[in-house]
Amino acid sequence: MKLLRCRSAGWKGAAFRTFGFKSEIVMNRRKNKNFVVGAVLTGVMLLFVLAGAVWTPYDPESMDKTAKLAGISLSHLMGCDNFGRDIFSRVLKGSGTTLLVAAGTVGIGTVCGILVGALTGYFGGLIDEVFMRINDVLFAFPSVLLGLVVISLLGSGNFNVVIALGIAFIPSFARIVRGEFIRCKNMDYVQSARLAGAGHLRVMFIHILPNITTVLLSSVMIGFNNAVLAEAGMSYLGIGTQPPHASLGRMLSDAQTYLFSSPSYALFPGLALIWMVLGFSLLAEGIKEG
Amino acid sequence: MLDVIDLNLEFHDHLIPETVVYDFDLHMEPGEIVGLVGESGSGKSMTALAIAGLLSRHDMQKQGRILFEGEDILTCARSRLRALQGDDIAMIFQEPMTSLNPVLPVGWQVEEALRIHRPQLGREERKRRALQMLADVELEDAERIYRSYPHQLSGGMRQRVMIAAAMICEPKLLIADEPTTALDVTIQHQIVQLLRRINREKKTAILFISHDLSLVRRLCRRVVVMQGGNIVESGDAETIFCRPGADYTRKLIEAIPKCEKGENAPSLNPGDGGDKTLLEVSDIRISFAQERRSLLERRKIRQVLKGISFRVRQGEVLGLVGESGCGKSTLARVILGLNRQDAGSVAHFSDCPQMVFQDPYGSLNPAKKVGWILEEPLRIRGGHTPQERRERALAMLQKVGLGPEIADRYPRQLSGGQRQRVCIGAALMLEPKLLIADEAVSALDVTVQDQILELLLSLKEEMGLSILFISHDMRVVYRMSDRVLVMRDGQIVEQGSAEQVYFAPSHPYTKQLLEAADLGGGG
Amino acid sequence: MKYFTKKLAGLLATLLAVSFLVFAAFAVIPGDPATAMLGTEATESRLEALREELGLNAPLMVRYLRWIKDFLRGDFGNSYRYNMSVMSMIRDKVPVTLTLTAISFALIVLISIPLGVACARYAGGILDHVIVVANQIIMAVPPFFSGILITLVFGLILHLFVPGGYVSWQQDWLSFLGYMIFPSIAIALPKSAMAVKLLRTSILSEMKLDYVRTAYSRGNGTRAVLYRHVLRNALIPVITFLGMALADMVAGSIIVEQVFNIPGLGRILLTSISNRDYPVVQAIIVCIAFLVIVVNFLVDLLYKAVDPRITLE
Repeated sequence: MKLLRCRSAGWKGAAFRTFGFKSEIVMNRRKNKNFVVGAVLTGVMLLFVLAGAVWTPYDPESMDKTAKLAGISLSHLMGCDNFGRDIFSRVLKGSGTTLLVAAGTVGIGTVCGILVGALTGYFGGLIDEVFMRINDVLFAFPSVLLGLVVISLLGSGNFNVVIALGIAFIPSFARIVRGEFIRCKNMDYVQSARLAGAGHLRVMFIHILPNITTVLLSSVMIGFNNAVLAEAGMSYLGIGTQPPHASLGRMLSDAQTYLFSSPSYALFPGLALIWMVLGFSLLAEGIKEG
Repeated sequence: MLDVIDLNLEFHDHLIPETVVYDFDLHMEPGEIVGLVGESGSGKSMTALAIAGLLSRHDMQKQGRILFEGEDILTCARSRLRALQGDDIAMIFQEPMTSLNPVLPVGWQVEEALRIHRPQLGREERKRRALQMLADVELEDAERIYRSYPHQLSGGMRQRVMIAAAMICEPKLLIADEPTTALDVTIQHQIVQLLRRINREKKTAILFISHDLSLVRRLCRRVVVMQGGNIVESGDAETIFCRPGADYTRKLIEAIPKCEKGENAPSLNPGDGGDKTLLEVSDIRISFAQERRSLLERRKIRQVLKGISFRVRQGEVLGLVGESGCGKSTLARVILGLNRQDAGSVAHFSDCPQMVFQDPYGSLNPAKKVGWILEEPLRIRGGHTPQERRERALAMLQKVGLGPEIADRYPRQLSGGQRQRVCIGAALMLEPKLLIADEAVSALDVTVQDQILELLLSLKEEMGLSILFISHDMRVVYRMSDRVLVMRDGQIVEQGSAEQVYFAPSHPYTKQLLEAADLGGGG
Repeated sequence: MKYFTKKLAGLLATLLAVSFLVFAAFAVIPGDPATAMLGTEATESRLEALREELGLNAPLMVRYLRWIKDFLRGDFGNSYRYNMSVMSMIRDKVPVTLTLTAISFALIVLISIPLGVACARYAGGILDHVIVVANQIIMAVPPFFSGILITLVFGLILHLFVPGGYVSWQQDWLSFLGYMIFPSIAIALPKSAMAVKLLRTSILSEMKLDYVRTAYSRGNGTRAVLYRHVLRNALIPVITFLGMALADMVAGSIIVEQVFNIPGLGRILLTSISNRDYPVVQAIIVCIAFLVIVVNFLVDLLYKAVDPRITLE
């Protein structure tokens, strides 16, 4: 252990200690906090969403004419919307939908991204060249825009949103994985594995992949973060989840009409959204630095 | 001029304060060259940074006094310290590439100290002095260098630029922290000559920090040896070299490979291998296409290997020595089939030759435990039960001088020497007949280096290995090899038995290398 | 100069590829434009005649070349829904979206660079702590929600602007700009937060590099090291980020236009998508993609100016 300490206090240490204002120490202390806060936020959110999948205080789609735009009360924790539906129940259900869409999106993005990124990064050459061109083209489209194109071709609906966003997410994942594979493939340990007779697939998935899990995990979290935002944006625009089903984005767009009379209608779905995104982004941060 | 009295440095950024330098004392006269020697972790760089006033004031506890012409660097005002830095005290560093700002032109950086300390000078005058300085450090075409960016220069040129930038205000003290470690031996030699000339002509005192005892001996009259934050010995360089007082100094000196006749590895026993050839390389050529500078230009081809032929006989250690960029690593990769050659052939007369790499931090998979790494070659080959694999791995650990508990550790938990032992072990798991060691000890401290060389030699005897030993270090190659090849620009310029090449060199380049390495000085 | 020509060639290639992809996607998938124009009751012979007239029976490549030729002349075809040229439909809208994006971009640069530098300079202090935490939260607020909050606070409560009271730039460009400020803030907020964070991290990691130590050893003070040496290096990743953010901001403006009721490209894109008015969708998508690609090209040039190490890959 003594030896380890010496090494860590060696050159790299010397470099930042000469530096005029304190920095690294601060950054180091903060990192685990990010992870813990992110994990707590995400954990609580998952609990609520799971509970919401089984039971909600009211049927999120049943309307109650007597409770139109009702304010916050014990019976309606977050009040009611313009049809008298319980906002709390709808937020629970809507978050569930958003999360499912995000999971599907990130799933497609990650699996395809790893495959494409690993192959192009590891082998390089012509496939890589072609891929990078396509990637540049896809990258030119913001994901929401790409989603809109696909939706305008396939029609609205949650399933189509997953496909659309999933495709939109492949390039960024592939780019990250490709970069990591390029970094790793010239490392000496990969060369030694090749010398010991390991095949390309073994090198790629048994030797290299475990070394990029941190990067992957954190980009999956960032992916969730972006997917939640993109889904909410699309359902805000009226694409994606169709009424009367609950979705956070759609609720926000409906709530805008009643913004002055009933601000809580817009506030709670928005806060739920921020909660989700914040959880994922802090997790990503914590993983990356930890 | 400089007096360091009872210097203690202590870090406070961890929970437990960590002392890196204990009771350091040093006295320097104007115009003197003093060497500060120690292995990594000895606190020599920390001491240097403290003297240059470059340690931050936040997280360090500093005790003692550093008096520069009577002023205490540790306690003087910040503005006063800044006035000294770059004007009276200048510093150069180990990595000239990273020590220069990549996005600013070289000339700007050379002039910077003038801009700070001689604001009265006009732009023209500054440029004139900078050009003069660049010419002074023996850079040709100073005008062009003035305009270039650091990435456009070679390593040796960058270090010259660093020296020019440090010397521009004619400081009284130049602190040189491992200034030649990242450079080739011939360049290293030139930089040392340059520093000596600067010292003589400008009367600049130099504090020369290095891990390389023989280099320090060549340059310095007085030497301070450090270990683990303590001064173990200080005094006249020759005295310390010939009659070291401390055990540690003696160990350091003994670890330097000797280059005297008959001091190298026991030559092969002709009885056990005979003249059997293990590897035959004939007329290997390889060239890389360079990036075209415009669409119309024809692609330039750079030849990396220009027809290399040699044989490795069973049971021998063949040394391959050459400077960086001569193509020796490419050659190793071609031999192992990791690179394709354009022409020529490689004939192996043994199974699965293995390789030990330079960087012990990069050649072990950081995500796997040592045991897993050692077992992996057997797992790939198949035909062993997990039990057998484990046993063989543990046996190998013992063979390379490590305990069985290492198997459950991750590479990052090991020291550099331990890692290199694991690398050797992993390479030997398949019991190859031929081992290629590419700069296998270059990244290690000299005492650790000595141990690893010893290990390689004993494993060679024990397992009947042949080794192709590639290195830039003349001494190490002599210590290890029976026969030596000297490589330059993709060609083998000289080959023969170690004694023949080292003591009766025929090619001028070999002579140049030998002179730069100053082998006599180590003895 | 060689760098410029090579990048320019790449730019043209990417533009061609994108336009072809968009064209092909719309040509292959969405069904029959003739039916869309004439309705489902039209007779087969009339449909066939219209197809012939629109040139829909020609091979894909020929149609693409014809389309791109028209496109370069500024003829984007006719809307299926409204019997008018796409050009006349989007001509007024482009400046609106561009202004929105430009103001947001300026805001991002103006907010993030000083704040990022200040954070790094006083890393570990109270200012830094506050900004870092605020950043993390602001990054999590989607632009349309911050738009709603801004409408509520600045529009409905503080009455600094009239929500929905958009004034077109032909009428009164000053009120137009005034109305655009708040939507721009909504777009700029999350991106600025990201840029602040990136710049802060970038400066702090640059500060650990060897050349900083060299700069100190020449007698520079912290301020000189920061502004003369570090900032330029630290801005390199921020430039990349800003280039990519611009693409996102165009998309973000589509949504925010909806929040603030601004008749820009986003509005017309959405109505056209729900009307299945493909020529309009196609033209807008290609325009946005072109804009993004050209911006990336400019970023590449800027990159080269800041970092002399950049050469042709």
